[in-house]
Amino acid sequence: MNSLDPRVIRLPKIEQEDIISPKIPLDQFGTFEVFVEPKEGKPFQHEGIVHAPNLEMAYILAKEAFTRRFTCTSLYVVDTREVYVSPMTEGENNAYELIPDAKESLNEKTTFEIYHLIKRGKQHVHQGHVAASNPTEAMAIAKTIYNKGKTVFNIWAIQSDKIRFTTQEEKDLWVTLPEKKFRDASDYKGGSKLKAFLEKEK
Amino acid sequence: MSEIALKELLYKMADDQLIQGHRNSEWTGMGPLLEEDIAFSSMAQDTIGQSLALYNLLHQLGESDPDTIAFTRNSTQFHNCVLTELPNKEYDFSLIRHFMFDTAQAIRYEALTRSSYLPLSQLAIKIRGELRYHTLHANTWIKQLGSATDESIERLQKSLLYALPFALGIFEESPYEKEIIASGIFEGEQKIKEKWLTQIQKIISQTRLTFPDIDLIQPVIGGRTGKHSEHLQPLLDEMSEVFRIDPTTEW
Repeated sequence: MNSLDPRVIRLPKIEQEDIISPKIPLDQFGTFEVFVEPKEGKPFQHEGIVHAPNLEMAYILAKEAFTRRFTCTSLYVVDTREVYVSPMTEGENNAYELIPDAKESLNEKTTFEIYHLIKRGKQHVHQGHVAASNPTEAMAIAKTIYNKGKTVFNIWAIQSDKIRFTTQEEKDLWVTLPEKKFRDASDYKGGSKLKAFLEKEK
Repeated sequence: MSEIALKELLYKMADDQLIQGHRNSEWTGMGPLLEEDIAFSSMAQDTIGQSLALYNLLHQLGESDPDTIAFTRNSTQFHNCVLTELPNKEYDFSLIRHFMFDTAQAIRYEALTRSSYLPLSQLAIKIRGELRYHTLHANTWIKQLGSATDESIERLQKSLLYALPFALGIFEESPYEKEIIASGIFEGEQKIKEKWLTQIQKIISQTRLTFPDIDLIQPVIGGRTGKHSEHLQPLLDEMSEVFRIDPTTEW
């Protein structure tokens, strides 16, 4: 069928020959998780995901997709598959209670970043980092350090060297951002302009 | 230092940015990926914003206000290089042009951070981060598609060869070149061009693209003195269409 409508183009073709062939994978990029530092000194928080062919492409696409309006001082991205996720809890139940206590491991250690979800529906927020030999051990160690305040519903652990951080010299990427008020609809004061116009028409 | 030499420099830079920004904004809503659509549109806004900053400097030097300068001149009064006015066609060309133009911008403004004309050096320092993102974005895409598939490499290679003579036109010298260099305002097109070639070749060498012998390429010049392609006037007509309905309106 000749059509420009993608819903029509994607309909399965009717074929005559009896050829058996493997299923063709979707032509789609993988996902990368985006974390933003909204202000100097504030912890990084999870903002969302971008689709990209690799980590460096994810970084440049995330920059405008997530930090083109609100204040930002830094950004980083990581492949979704590098994010290790604890069980999710609710109510009074703390996710750390489901993490077994740490056993002393003699394996080589690396750094993991630890994130907490303390309100369902909100973002995961960075807590700090621990040295561990795997994500499970990282969460067990985090349990002894960061499980102090509010009930934690979910924990993330990400190996630090898998993250594409903003370098020191890239920190100026957001210098002019506070001046870009034109990206916000409220800056156009449409309501007050309409009101003034209607007053004049009376 | 005569004011006319300074104004000539500001006009060509501002016009480059206005026309390039407008062309890049034509991709808004049609980018190849949602994320890229947003990124390319944001950079187009940056580029137009940079032109506004320069038109404001010109206004302080006694020229008309920025809207009048931007929207009421005809093509022969524009000083942008021809590269910036070329139609977009396919995304490969727009990416190559973005790569060549913003690399030149970053190098030009880096030099201008040392300008003896204070408003220009202040502007150059202020927008350094914007241009850092523009070149990071361009380099990442060129390295990605310049090494991806046979089709992406072939498309970029073709666009590279097509755009290069126009890109060399960015560095068309001003009649006041010696004066502007001597005054310490700007180090001159020749120096910018040499740094540009080194940087462009450095990125291209990290891909499967090939860079031609630059000595055999004839630059397309004339834009700086108002000699443009047939593509500029239709762009200006479209860009100023809404403004011309009522030039006195407050937006």
